[in-house]
Amino acid sequence: MAVNGNIYRPMKAVVEKVIDESPLIKTFVLVPERAFSFKTGEFIELTLDGIGEAPFTPSSSPLIKERFDVTIMKAGYVTELMHKLEPGAVLGVRGPYGRGYPLEKFIDKEVIILSGGCGLAPIRSLLYALIDIKDKLRKVTLCYGSKTPQDCIYKPLFSQLNQIDNFSTLRTVDFADRYWDEHVGVATVLLDHIDIDLPNAVAVVCGPPVMMKYGTMKLLEKGFPDHLIYLSMEKNMSCGLGKCGHCMLGGYFVCRDGPVFTYDEIKDQPHIW
Amino acid sequence: MAGYYKLDKEVWDGALAGILNTYRVFAPLKGVKATDYECIGEAHIPDIVYNHPKPVIPLKTFFIPIKENVVADTAGIHPTIIMGIPGCDLAALDLLDKFFLDEDYPDTYYASRRKHTILVGADCHLTDTHCHCTSYGLNPYPEKHHDLSVHVLNGHVWLSSHSEKGAHLLSGILDSVSFESMDEVPLEIQHVRQQQKRELEKRNKRLPNYQESTDAVVNSEASVWHSYSRTCVSCGACATICPTCTCFLLIDRPGFEKVRQLDACQYPGFERTAGGEDPLKRLDNRFKNRYLCKYLYRPEKYEAMACTGCGRCIDACIGKIDKNELLVELTK
Ligand SMILES: Cc1cc2nc3c(=O)[nH]c(=O)nc-3n(C[C@H](O)[C@H](O)[C@H](O)COP(=O)(O)OP(=O)(O)OC[C@H]3O[C@@H](n4cnc5c(N)ncnc54)[C@H](O)[C@@H]3O)c2cc1C
Ligand code: SF4
Ligand code: SF4
Ligand code: FES
Repeated sequence: MAVNGNIYRPMKAVVEKVIDESPLIKTFVLVPERAFSFKTGEFIELTLDGIGEAPFTPSSSPLIKERFDVTIMKAGYVTELMHKLEPGAVLGVRGPYGRGYPLEKFIDKEVIILSGGCGLAPIRSLLYALIDIKDKLRKVTLCYGSKTPQDCIYKPLFSQLNQIDNFSTLRTVDFADRYWDEHVGVATVLLDHIDIDLPNAVAVVCGPPVMMKYGTMKLLEKGFPDHLIYLSMEKNMSCGLGKCGHCMLGGYFVCRDGPVFTYDEIKDQPHIW
Repeated sequence: MAGYYKLDKEVWDGALAGILNTYRVFAPLKGVKATDYECIGEAHIPDIVYNHPKPVIPLKTFFIPIKENVVADTAGIHPTIIMGIPGCDLAALDLLDKFFLDEDYPDTYYASRRKHTILVGADCHLTDTHCHCTSYGLNPYPEKHHDLSVHVLNGHVWLSSHSEKGAHLLSGILDSVSFESMDEVPLEIQHVRQQQKRELEKRNKRLPNYQESTDAVVNSEASVWHSYSRTCVSCGACATICPTCTCFLLIDRPGFEKVRQLDACQYPGFERTAGGEDPLKRLDNRFKNRYLCKYLYRPEKYEAMACTGCGRCIDACIGKIDKNELLVELTK
């Protein structure tokens, strides 16, 4: 996407609403000053004025243009300060950047999604996009893991998805409490509880690095071919424009060539997890 | 304006004084320890060093300064002439232009500086100890990206133009002075070129060429990186001084302004993420990354060389690490 003018200057967006998702995760509903559209899986650079900038993937439906959501986990300096924002605050937005999910390749397929923690943010946007084309999909299965039931985000999303005929969800927590009646254990164990029609399936993995690694291993074990496993790679980023070099994954710039890659594209690069 | 134009040195010096009224001119001057670009005034004209090997700082510094506010500043609109640019630094513009002038996200600061700058190339009539451009198929004289070239030989000056910008400047100079002209590269220039080229080839006989270096880096054993990086202090001098290292960091300033500051993969934490992962945490991995970037990643992605053989990183290294020795060892 070509940009006119200054590639480093963000546009402004006003925080309309702040939603507490978990003790560490909040969703910010942003209203940008200009029309803004993104493809699911593309990311933005969000600026906290004078403080810092960090990459996030919008978690709302790509079909909605007037406002969009970003779901932010408290992870360090900038995100911690972002968590203090209240409605009315003004943020800077650059983007959207990168290469998102190739929805056209999911047509007529069964989509297995493995997600953990805050990795559900980009996945929620993907799910909304998939709901929009649900008649063209065989099946969508979401396997989601979080540390504790409290850390499980987007609770209403799961019942919404379960009401759609060809969508289903499974959840697990590492540490259950006495009210939890779903799975217990790391996210990858959920893959043992689903039927996969391998010849017609694609897999999407998005979550913390350990989950990405073991999730991918498990999918390979189950017989998924390398080129049908879609991974959202998280790297340090600064510019988002393929210039600053911070996000290098071997020869790739994750910000331009990704963040979504198939496993076969990156498996030979050093230090992928 | 094709051809070569021969002027007396005093005539050229006079023309340069006139040019100073319109342009900001940077030219190599001799310092206490080295020769480097300075912003010159009329008094400096007789002291300009011609046809010297590369100045201390790489050309990139003019287009991507160490630190620049890329939201607030109005960059580089002052017409500028940079003199004395060696072929290796000009060749580095292949990669820099691909990075900063790419169609999707052109950097307007870089673009405007490039547009308003006239590049005056210089043949190297001498070479430095670590110069190795010829090992990578380059020559010790400008071959691309320069607008004008200036040779000072045997008390006179040869000028030639290589672009529209250069032709415009040259015709302005020639308007008011007397000169001789030649269509072909003058023999005296050809002679020095051959001599310098032979000298470099002889000196760097043991050095692998670009492709051989790439193969050697890719197929290397971990132990080499471990042992060569032992004296590396992660100061980043090798990257700062390199004409093709362009990595940077955006730093936020109030008013949604951003400062683009040169950065380097050699600094600890360059790739650290919030979760704590840091693929380049280990010194030897970080050290090797620079070689992978130069000999594999950049050339593969941009079809441009990311080492032009200027030798600056070898001169600059506090840990006395010699990139070329390492490459020779890898190809043994
Ligand atoms: C493409 C992409 C999409 C992302 N989407 C989301 C999302 O939807 N929700 C969410 O909560 N998080 C997301 N992240 C991670 C988020 O960007 C980091 O948590 C955030 O940058 C941490 O910043 P910090 O200043 O709080 O952390 P610190 O650790 O204090 O950061 C210090 C510095 O390191 C850089 N940095 C640290 N970690 C990262 C990182 N993981 N990625 C990039 N730069 C980093 C920061 O830019 C900063 O300069 C995404 C990351 C990427 C690459
Ligand atoms: S890597 Fe070293 S020799 Fe090569 S261009 Fe950079 S500074 Fe010069
Ligand atoms: S060698 Fe390192 S600092 Fe230089 S361009 Fe490559 S990644 Fe950036
Ligand atoms: S974030 Fe700057 S190159 Fe990718």
